[in-house]
This record gives sequence, C-alpha cells and structure tokens, in this order.
Amino acid sequence: MSKYFTIIKTAWQRSMVYRFDIIAYRVGDLMEMLIIILMWSAIYNGNTKIGDYTLPEMLTYLIIGNLVAVLLRNFLYEVISKDIKDGLLSAHLLKPIPYFRYIIIREIGRIAMVTMISGATQLVVTIFFIDRIILNNDPVVISVIVLMVVLAFIIEMLVSYLTGLIAFWQDEVNGLHYIILSLRKFFAGGYFPLSLLPAWFVTTSFLLPFAYSFFVPAQLYLGKLSIHAGLKGIAIELVWIVLLYLFIKITWHFGIKKYEGVGI
Amino acid sequence: MATIEIKGLSKTYDYYKKQAGLWNSLKSLFHRQKLFTQAVKNIDFTIEEGELVGFLGPNGAGKTTTLKMLSGILYPTAGDAKVLGYTPWKRQAELQKQFALVMGQKNQLWWDLPAMESFILNKEIYEIPKEQFEKTLEELTALLDIKDILEIPVRKLSLGQRMKCELVAALIHSPKVLFLDEPTIGLDVVSQNNIREFLKKYNKEKKITIILTSHYMEDVEALCERVVIINHGSIIYDGGLKKLIDQHIHHKILEVTFTELVDERRLDGFGTIKEKTPTRVVMEVPKTEAKQVAIKLLNDFPVDDILINEVEIDQVIRNVFMK
Repeated sequence: MSKYFTIIKTAWQRSMVYRFDIIAYRVGDLMEMLIIILMWSAIYNGNTKIGDYTLPEMLTYLIIGNLVAVLLRNFLYEVISKDIKDGLLSAHLLKPIPYFRYIIIREIGRIAMVTMISGATQLVVTIFFIDRIILNNDPVVISVIVLMVVLAFIIEMLVSYLTGLIAFWQDEVNGLHYIILSLRKFFAGGYFPLSLLPAWFVTTSFLLPFAYSFFVPAQLYLGKLSIHAGLKGIAIELVWIVLLYLFIKITWHFGIKKYEGVGI
Repeated sequence: MATIEIKGLSKTYDYYKKQAGLWNSLKSLFHRQKLFTQAVKNIDFTIEEGELVGFLGPNGAGKTTTLKMLSGILYPTAGDAKVLGYTPWKRQAELQKQFALVMGQKNQLWWDLPAMESFILNKEIYEIPKEQFEKTLEELTALLDIKDILEIPVRKLSLGQRMKCELVAALIHSPKVLFLDEPTIGLDVVSQNNIREFLKKYNKEKKITIILTSHYMEDVEALCERVVIINHGSIIYDGGLKKLIDQHIHHKILEVTFTELVDERRLDGFGTIKEKTPTRVVMEVPKTEAKQVAIKLLNDFPVDDILINEVEIDQVIRNVFMK
C-alpha cells in the first residue's frame, strides 16, 4: 500500500514544480465559465424560459457541470501516447508494477493536487454568483451525485487511457483525441443542456458514458431528474467501467506486441 | 543453470516504405508497402553467473534489440531466452526484481525532481526493506561520489552526474543481472573512467552478471574478458578478447624516433610504413619479428627512442566487422 502512496506523493511533488501552469489552467477555466455565463445571460435577455430552463437554472447547470468537468479532466492520453511514441514505456516495462496501475495511480496523485486548487477557485465563482444560482442540499441527491461523479472520474480515465494506447498503431493521436473530446463534451451536455435537443437524443446519450460527467449530475442537482434515474445511471456507468477495462486489456495485449521501444 | 541462455532468438521489425516528396506522401495515405528488417537472426549464446561480457557491434547490428528482448521490452519473432530461468517477456515480478537495464541515451529518473525521489519510489516499487535500501544507497553513492547532488533536480545535473544517478537507481534493488546499453555515451574522459572503475569494482564485489554494449573500446578493454560480436543481426564472434586479438592481429606497431634525419629508402624491408616525418617513423611489423626488427633498428640507425605497441582494439574490431 505504501507503494501507491509514494507514487501519489511523488506525482504531487512534481506538480508543485509547475505551480504556474496549474494556476494558468485555472484562470483559463474561470474565463471560459464567465464567458458562458455572459453569453447565456445575453441569450435569455428578458425571456423567462428557454426549453424548460429558467436563467438561474441554466446558470446553475453550467456552474455545477463545469465544476464536475474540471475535476474530471485528465491528461492520461497525452502521457500514454508520449510514453509509447518516445519509447519511455520501456523503462516502465522493466519495473515490477504493471504500467496500467502505475500510471492510473500517478494520475490520481496529480489530479488530487489540481482538484484542490480547482475546488477553491470554483468556490470563489460560486460565491460570486450565489444569489443567481439554485442551491440544493438534499443529502440523498448529493450522495448520488458524488457517487456518480466518482464513477465518471474512473470512466474518463479509462477512456483517456484507451485513447492513448492507440499510439501503438498510430503515431499521432492528438487529432483523434480532439474528435473524442469534442464529441464527449457535446454528449456530456457541456455546451448546453441535452434536454434542449429531441428526446431520442437524450435517450441515446444516457446509454453513452459521457452524460454522467456533466448533464446527469447537473440535472439531478436541479431536481429535473429523479433519484431513480440517477441510480439507473450509476448502473450504466458500472457497465461501462467493466467494458472499458476489457477494451483496455485487449488493446494492450495486441499493442504491446507492436511496441518497438523506439529511440533507445 | 546458466544465468542467461539464448537459443535461436530472432526479431523482425515491420515498417512502411515511404518515398520522399509530397506526391509520394499523398500516395502513401492510400497505399503503403510493408517491408521487413531482420534485426536479430537466430542468435545463441550463454552467460554464466558473474561474467562481464562485452556485446559489440556497429550501429544497427542488433545489440539493443537483443538487450530489449532480454529485458522483456520486446517480444521476439522466434526463438527463446531465459534470464535466471525466467522468460523475460512474460514480465514476471520475480525476475524484474532481479535485473536492471541502464540505457545511456534514456532517462529513467523523474526529470523535474531530485534523484533521491526516484530512488525512494524505486524502493517502494521494488519493495526493498528500509535497512537494505539505506545500506545500498550509502554504498553506491559513496562509490560513485555523488552524495552532494542527490537533492538537485535531475534536469539540472550534468550528463555525467545524471548517469551516475541512473546507475544508483538501477542498482538500488541489488539486481543479480545488469544490462548496460552504452552507459558511457557522450561522457567526458574523466566521467567515462569513473563509471568504468565503478563497474569493475561492483562486478568484482557483488558477482553480478553484466552485459555491456559500448562504442568505446576503452570500456571493453578495461572491463570485459569475453566479448560477443554481432553484425547484421548474426553473431560473428563469441570468446575471449585476448584470443580475438591474437586471431585477427598479426602485427605490432613500431614507433621510432631518430636523433638525426634518416633517408626513407634505408627503411625498406623493415615493415609497412604508416607514418613518416624526417625524424620519426611508425610502421607495422609482423608480431613474431617485432623484437628482431627493433634490435636491428637500434643497431643500424641513430635511434633516440623506440616503442613497440599493440594494435588498438578499435582496429581489431573494425577488422572483424570487415570480414
């Protein structure tokens, strides 16, 4: 166990070296959010409702959803594709700890650090808009949301890991990852609530893993989705975790045989 | 049981042919020709416990590919290898805790953190008991004389310092087998010498089995009694370094300095002249005749100084590759 703790601690120390980078990212996040808030405020401009969203609901949706999205962001695909392309993976293959386990734990360590800072900055924004958003402190709803977000966190890491493994076959994965990233943000409801779209679209997105990292938790928070629907979502998330893990196993099994450890 | 056993090991890489130019790049989007290169062809050798073997060959000969297979980084296309009785590419923790690979051109330390952090991480990953870790660390840092740089971020170290830290990181779990891929590449003469001395001592004290590849023949000469030479993926020599020299080198180098000018024509018949200035000559003389030639020169010429040298080992290896 102390093995994993040390990996986390080392990752943490490393991210301290890049304090400025972390802060710069946060500033970027805040700016993006302010722009979204301004944009929607302008769109509403006197309208009381768009779809079934009032302006406070819409702002709450975006603030809560973005908070979750920031917490879930990881850079595993970059780390992994770089390890594979530049042959850095070789050094990991020598060590008596599976690469998958090592990298996931290291990334958790890194994210733990970022999460604290994001949480703090996000809190500032939330307080700033406190009189314009809707508060919900129902413990059952919050518990379901937390569980859902934790599972979404795992899903995001697995998706990112899987994308990174494509580097075994393809030298460049950034473009592919960009496609996935855009689709993901769309299916997650990151641009606008999915419920503004036709119903079949919402139904489809419930079967995909992405809605659980933005749309569904925010809807739960707003009371627009029942606890029952939330629990069903958690079940779907669990199925995806198993599937993604299997995909990763299979991809690794074939990919590692293609690996040439170039550049040594 | 031998520490390392290699039987019929082969590795073929596939890659795509791509001709230069934009048009060809466009074509290659739709149709690519697959090509194969055999990096290692059906090689066999065995290494016993405690041996320090030089693994030599020109660039692209298959040295690194072989080491990568022995470390479990690459899967072979055919054949088998056993390290300490384990198949390396199964990557069992039992084996991984008993060997290490150091690559002179690759960094295995955490770049942004002091080397000490990487050592501590390795301590945990290799599950090294605390006392053993401290003892080994003390020993290695003393031998390599780097106690004062352990707290400096790796990216700020010089190449020589970094290489020493790499060695500590690789040896901290006291491996029984060590693969060294050009550990002295790019280092200055002093650092090269330090690393060489260290390896010599370490091999002697710990009875650790080492395979070393290097382009610096000083490394090989100082460290290896046995060499395995590989070229175009096949082994072309496996045996003692001395024997290799005897087999391939049939002459010595005579370096003579005269006290006064000597007419070149008078030196005909003594040996093959390699260099000549008015008062100095370097010539190749058959090994068996070196002594007689030297005596004759001393008698017949105004000799100030005379040196009988062995052919440099670089030359020996070059001769082997040429064949």
